[in-house]
Amino acid sequence: MNVEFDNSVVDKNRAQHKAVQVAIYVLLSILVLVYILPLLWIVMSAMKPNSDFKSTPWALPHDFSSLMDNFVFAWTKGHLGRATLNSFIVATVTLIISLVVGSMAAFAIARLRFKLSKLVLTYFMIGMMIPIHCVLFSLYTQFASWKLTNTLAGLIIPYVAFSLPITIYIMTGFFESIPNELFEAAVIDGCSVPRLFVTVGLPLAKTGFMVTGLMSFVNNWNELLFALVFISDDELKTLPVSLTKFVGPHSTNYTQMFAGIVIAVIPTIIVYSIFANQIVEGLTAGAVKG
Amino acid sequence: MDKLLRKKSNIILFLAPAFILFTAVLIVPIGTAFYYSLCDYKISETPKFVFLKNYITMFTSDADMKTAFKNSIFFMIFSCVTQLIFGLVLAALLTNIKRGRDFFKNVYYLPCVLSSAALGLLWYFIFHPKYGINKIMENLGLLNKASEGKQWLADTSGFIILPIVVISFVALWQYVGQSMMLYMAQISGISKDIYEAAAIDGCSKTQSFFRITLPLIKPMVATAMSLNAIGSLKFFDLIFSMLPESMRGVGGKAHVLATVIYDQGLRYSKYGYACSVGMVLLAMCLLVTFLINKFVKTESYDM
Amino acid sequence: MKMKKFLSLAVTSVLTVSMLAGCTSGGSDGGNNGGASGGVQELTFMVWDDLDASEDLISKGYKDSIERFNKDYEGKYHVKVVSTNLEEYYTKLNAEVAAGNTPDVFIVSPGPNLNDYVLPGTAAKLDDYLNADGWKGTFTSDAVFAGGTYGAEAAGGAGIYAIPLNIAAACVFYNTEMFADAGASVPKTYSELLTACQKLKDKGYTPITISAGTAWCLSMVAGYLCDRNGLNLQDVKDHKTDWNDAKVINAGKQIQELSQYFQDTAVSDDNDVATAAFYDGEAAILIQGSWAIGQINGSGPEGFADKVGVFAFPAVDGSSADPNRVIAKSDSLAMSATSKCPEGAIALIKYFVDDTAQKYTAEVGGKIPVTKVQYDESVAPPELSYVMDVFKNASATFGFYNESLADTEAGATFDSCFVEIFKGTDPAEALKPIQEYYENNVWK
Repeated sequence: MNVEFDNSVVDKNRAQHKAVQVAIYVLLSILVLVYILPLLWIVMSAMKPNSDFKSTPWALPHDFSSLMDNFVFAWTKGHLGRATLNSFIVATVTLIISLVVGSMAAFAIARLRFKLSKLVLTYFMIGMMIPIHCVLFSLYTQFASWKLTNTLAGLIIPYVAFSLPITIYIMTGFFESIPNELFEAAVIDGCSVPRLFVTVGLPLAKTGFMVTGLMSFVNNWNELLFALVFISDDELKTLPVSLTKFVGPHSTNYTQMFAGIVIAVIPTIIVYSIFANQIVEGLTAGAVKG
Repeated sequence: MDKLLRKKSNIILFLAPAFILFTAVLIVPIGTAFYYSLCDYKISETPKFVFLKNYITMFTSDADMKTAFKNSIFFMIFSCVTQLIFGLVLAALLTNIKRGRDFFKNVYYLPCVLSSAALGLLWYFIFHPKYGINKIMENLGLLNKASEGKQWLADTSGFIILPIVVISFVALWQYVGQSMMLYMAQISGISKDIYEAAAIDGCSKTQSFFRITLPLIKPMVATAMSLNAIGSLKFFDLIFSMLPESMRGVGGKAHVLATVIYDQGLRYSKYGYACSVGMVLLAMCLLVTFLINKFVKTESYDM
Repeated sequence: MKMKKFLSLAVTSVLTVSMLAGCTSGGSDGGNNGGASGGVQELTFMVWDDLDASEDLISKGYKDSIERFNKDYEGKYHVKVVSTNLEEYYTKLNAEVAAGNTPDVFIVSPGPNLNDYVLPGTAAKLDDYLNADGWKGTFTSDAVFAGGTYGAEAAGGAGIYAIPLNIAAACVFYNTEMFADAGASVPKTYSELLTACQKLKDKGYTPITISAGTAWCLSMVAGYLCDRNGLNLQDVKDHKTDWNDAKVINAGKQIQELSQYFQDTAVSDDNDVATAAFYDGEAAILIQGSWAIGQINGSGPEGFADKVGVFAFPAVDGSSADPNRVIAKSDSLAMSATSKCPEGAIALIKYFVDDTAQKYTAEVGGKIPVTKVQYDESVAPPELSYVMDVFKNASATFGFYNESLADTEAGATFDSCFVEIFKGTDPAEALKPIQEYYENNVWK
């Protein structure tokens, strides 16, 4: 509705229009506070000693020599440093595999010609409706017999499978939007199908990669239930799990816990602020096509 | 060209990895889980086939399941309705401003990418009886002592208990950005000509929102609503990190389907029973998606 | 040229997959059942507290035992500790058992929790080890093994399945300064307890700190009240009485009566928060197991221990029940029946009950030792001697209610029934879930 009606309205309406605009901005800004303030509060509190937080939870930190103490504690003693690395490994490897495998399947569905392509897409789409909880125990017992529990690979494999439906869904949309002429030209040049995929398909679906990649990265970075059940070794725990465990022995030392929370969300905030606009645009493109 | 794209070997090469992985890790385990759901299956014992016993127990004599159904269905309805309203309002407001649209959009979408476990802990402290909202109310003079204020996350009176309502709002806060984005995407795809024509016919902006925008984004409403419904039915992380263990425990009034699965499976090691609850959850997800798509996505207009 | 790119992509993905496979096999080599790497046998030990970060003195003692073991057996055995939160402990242990990764040695509470591992044969029978080299003779009496002793119902046959490490008795801790200031005296009966609380409240103190957020804390008090009202759990088990017995209802009413003296946030607070309120001087009375001594002295302010007094849970006026019964609980160790290295596992368990560890238990941790070790009473926390008095005067001990019922789920149901009662639900109404649970699962 970003349409201007200026030519068809009179001055009175224009003043009214301006007032409405101001009201909208005020409303949106208040909402921004609702989103930012809780985050700022936690960051601020994480910089305070526990006793300060207990007496004045909403005051600014005043002891500037100990701002980072809680972070150091959470990072080292709370195993959160190790957990960050584990989450990074799990999320990155999952991202690479699911992108490769998923975009190949999407390419086949969108571009290769076979009767069942719609059905295959639907088959993968079922995955979006399946709550992962209902396969938790059957996968767990299966993976246990394969000695895959308590390994990062045991997390990566299900994560890839859960990332596939959304990857395939969005990538199919992108591959379908590529004009046919580009493929035809390549085929006339004697291109094989794998080459067609790599030289024509992939470069033109870059935005799609960006979106699906970030979505799968973020989802797997944050996943709690599977990681909670599948991993018991402290050295292999991912961030959300280490965070919930870290809370245990520190349930009365709140500010150390806050430092843990901040450590857990900072990496995603950084990734998000770098790529925010691309995600939003890509999601828009993907969603509309889908 | 056509022949090349029809070549079977290529199709198999491209589809096989995804197909095998997806089938082995998601579809086959559903079959196994369905079988387990018909068994008495405790850890370190072999599954014993009991047919529908688990399902009968679940629907007749399990008080936790009653609570879980009630809470999960409340979550679902609450999230579908509020996300639709707030998502649409935000999308409509954002498409109507000229400057700073990206900024607002990015801020509202931010919590969607953050860890629910971490945000749950954060909100736990906002609703902490001594330190969060209650402390602010004390500072403002609305309460004598913070600890005398509402026990936001522990009050269990009423049909839908307060902690569930609080968590619903936190979930709305966290995920409304996603609905907003989906609606914005759809709205920005609507041709300007339609609005101009409507304006010439004397349609106000509010009128054109209800008469043009809403009908045209109906397909997206179905998509966003299905996502919300499934997401809220399988809700786990926020409950797990925001509520003390006793609230989730047996007789705990804040149980949802996912926490029942977790408790029955791991706390009491009744895998068979946990799997049958999982099957019910799956059935509900499929049913809700089907219903929404049937009743909301009635027809789509050509834009 | 372009084909090369595709190839490189393919190679990368193959490499990734094989790398993952590498992780996998690496993982199972170093896995829980102790693969030998470089001649060092790995033993897994599972415990309910993060030993690296915990400030609890008993947990620190466990850490010390493991470190001494690792040092003495360097090159032969190495202990890998798997730790969780207390709340998540049994869920995680169950998951490990289901995965066939039962830890070689794991900590467990006697009662239904231990049943879960003894009855199906997950835990090993320990009689042969106890009888060898006079190990059993070092313990104070055979009675300490009562919780770990099973009959023929155990898959491994009748015998002892768990080694106790220490005993804690549930007592009432109180802040002597606050009591003196309020002119309150140590209560012998329930009505005297109410009087003392009222005096404390009038003086502006929070009389009792308790946790309903961690349900077993509240239910421990409920268990005491049921027992003092004369409830016999065996009668309930045999269905000679129901859960809506007047004795239980009476206990529920007393919880509701006491609740006016709890801290405002009792319903939300978890165990650690409620205990902290006691050692931070925010409340006068803490009803807790004597493991709290380790927590109070580990986290509390210097010199606080001198202000703490202990008394036994008061009798209920007019009840004929024995008022000298005490709730006791011991942390125990069990060994996996499938352990690849039982000798190593037993050697490790012995480090938890040797003289060094048991002296530490009493002198630093403040728990009652299980062996005949001589410890220096003058350095032990002052609270311990009070607890020992309570314990010595006890006519009998009984377990936590939630750990003495038919199974773990029954225990959790009992806990939440009493949380509901505390929140104001009518006792008869609130006890329905446990009654129904017994009707559906126990009394059949």
